[in-house]
Amino acid sequence: MSKSNIDITVSLHGVLRINKFKLEQRTYPANTRVEKVIDELQIPVKLLGIIIINGVHANATDILNNGDTLMLLPLLEGG
Amino acid sequence: MKIETTDPVSHPELISYCRCTINLKTGAQKIEHVPCKNLEDVLGGFGRSFQMLAELDIDTAYCEENPIIINTGLLTGSSAMTGLRTYFSSYSPIKGSKAGKPAAMWSAGSGKFGAKFKWAGLDEIILHGRADKPLYIEITEGSDGPLIQLKPAENLIGLSTHDKVMTLYKDYDNAHFAAIGQAGENWENNYAGSVALSTVNQLKTGEDKLRFAGRGGMGSMMGYKNVVALVAQSEDKLKPITEAVKNVHTQVIKGGGAARLQPIKRGGGGGTWAAYDVMQPFHAVPVNNYRPQGNDLPEKLFRENVEKEFDIQSAACFRCGITCHNYISEKNPDGSRGDFIAKFDYEPLNLLGTNIGIHDARQAGKLIYLCDNYGMDAISIGVTVSYALAYNERHPDKPLFNGAHFGDYEKIYELISGAGEGKLPGIGKGSMRLSEQTGETDYAYHIKGLELAAYLPETNPGYCWAIAGGHMSMGSYGTLIRDGKSDVDSWVDVITQDKLHIVGFDMIGLCKFFDITQGIGTQMVVDCLKSDFNLEIDPAAIKAAVRRSFLLGLALEFRQGYTKSEYCLPAEVYKDPNPNIKLPNVSSPEFMAELADKVWEVFEKELNGILPNCK
Repeated sequence: MSKSNIDITVSLHGVLRINKFKLEQRTYPANTRVEKVIDELQIPVKLLGIIIINGVHANATDILNNGDTLMLLPLLEGG
Repeated sequence: MKIETTDPVSHPELISYCRCTINLKTGAQKIEHVPCKNLEDVLGGFGRSFQMLAELDIDTAYCEENPIIINTGLLTGSSAMTGLRTYFSSYSPIKGSKAGKPAAMWSAGSGKFGAKFKWAGLDEIILHGRADKPLYIEITEGSDGPLIQLKPAENLIGLSTHDKVMTLYKDYDNAHFAAIGQAGENWENNYAGSVALSTVNQLKTGEDKLRFAGRGGMGSMMGYKNVVALVAQSEDKLKPITEAVKNVHTQVIKGGGAARLQPIKRGGGGGTWAAYDVMQPFHAVPVNNYRPQGNDLPEKLFRENVEKEFDIQSAACFRCGITCHNYISEKNPDGSRGDFIAKFDYEPLNLLGTNIGIHDARQAGKLIYLCDNYGMDAISIGVTVSYALAYNERHPDKPLFNGAHFGDYEKIYELISGAGEGKLPGIGKGSMRLSEQTGETDYAYHIKGLELAAYLPETNPGYCWAIAGGHMSMGSYGTLIRDGKSDVDSWVDVITQDKLHIVGFDMIGLCKFFDITQGIGTQMVVDCLKSDFNLEIDPAAIKAAVRRSFLLGLALEFRQGYTKSEYCLPAEVYKDPNPNIKLPNVSSPEFMAELADKVWEVFEKELNGILPNCK
């Protein structure tokens, strides 16, 4: 990893995993926002419900830091 | 409904609904057009039925003075998608206060019965008294309005919900059906009887693809009254869908809530079942009586694992594009669809699967089939079974019933069939009564006598203020997991302002997935009312009516003897906090005490004077 890059762990859940992965280490430029990861992975925005960084609820505009674990989950809307 | 105004807020009296009142003891009936008193009457469902129940002084559910009110909502049978709901309201045999009085309760279901009921010209039936012999009620369309007849039903006794429907279907074409199962017939020993509602899929395939008004023992009340089924026969009277309603439907299907429910092949999340995948990363899927163990056991019932062995078919109700449920069938060796096993919805799957230690999809499916066919609420029965299993885990030397333990499929099957046949009142009467008998109430997962849905109480303190079952009458189950809200003030807002509006769907005739996040006080609903009935109404007026109805439900709980101390989570939650749940703690005694103070501060001032005098 160069100094201008960060390594993060991305964890996908439910239908967001289809044709993708469950867990993957990925490298991004420093100051990357969550939305960049979402775009790059082509996560359908209408299905994305929950963003968690290191166990805490987060937003698509949040900036990722080296070593972060980013969890992306579908919506939860009733049973 | 007869509508002679465009303004239902200022002139509800110019809107009348067609009501049939039947005295089951004498067979006397009266059909009348009743002018609405207020907007709640116009909207219908529990908004109307609770006003009637509030006028009665009822000390025990099984008494002749306790009526069952069967009604629809204004948009049932309309051109609006999901407009299929039928409501059953009464004082409940299972939900009751510590003072021993039954709570007013309603239960809602889809299927096509409600639309046929409406198209036959009827908006409401009130059943008083009790028939001497089993009967079913035939509703047909006469030249001057609905015709109602009471018919002998001895031949239906002992049949499952599905078999009752299919037996009646042989005699009635162009009809749909509501029926109880053996559980409702055994009302003395089973307080969790449901009412099954026939679907187009069921009648077409002959498979038990019913929908249910499951909660609160409304099927047991029907059984007590000796009414085992209703038939509604009418031509379909669907209005042409206007451009305005088409636009609403597009918004419903593409909206946030419904998008998740769409089939995976249409880019959706695959139905309510997908809740497993969202909650498991937090170890928030109920396991073994609501005690997740921090392991991956729930993943065995993830769709991606089940579909390796079984055929999964996305399914929808009549004319609904949401596709919220899934049919599970055997997969033939050539990959084609084999025998139908059961309908997988999140709640029954969890509460008759993972939460009782069953991680095999076929076994869970068979238990769902069993509950559906006996006509029992999968939530109340599943949770009462999980209580018994938890008791047996603690008392291996003196277990309850047959000594069943978590995951013991054969013995759990015996417990559920025993309850359905009325042979195991300990299970059939629910977890509150069973835990009071054993003296171990801490891990009985009910609130106010009604078992919790398949969302951990640790994730939803809002359960306490739900007026008709956890997740269906207080939409706060996603506030922690989905929205990450863990401060008291956010929860106060959620409970007292936003999420109580979920009950509006149980007034107007629509399913919650129409717009689960917003409720019915929306432009979408306004557009449907304008298109179908030429009614002009402001979303704020609808919201106000929903709030009044919710508050009436809360006031009725106090009338029936509930005290504030009963608005609490099961004690195990705070006496033995589960360290495996990976979410902020919103259920500590301190959090709950502050929340309760602030919630009551909002609600209490609105409850004064809300109840009418009893007759």
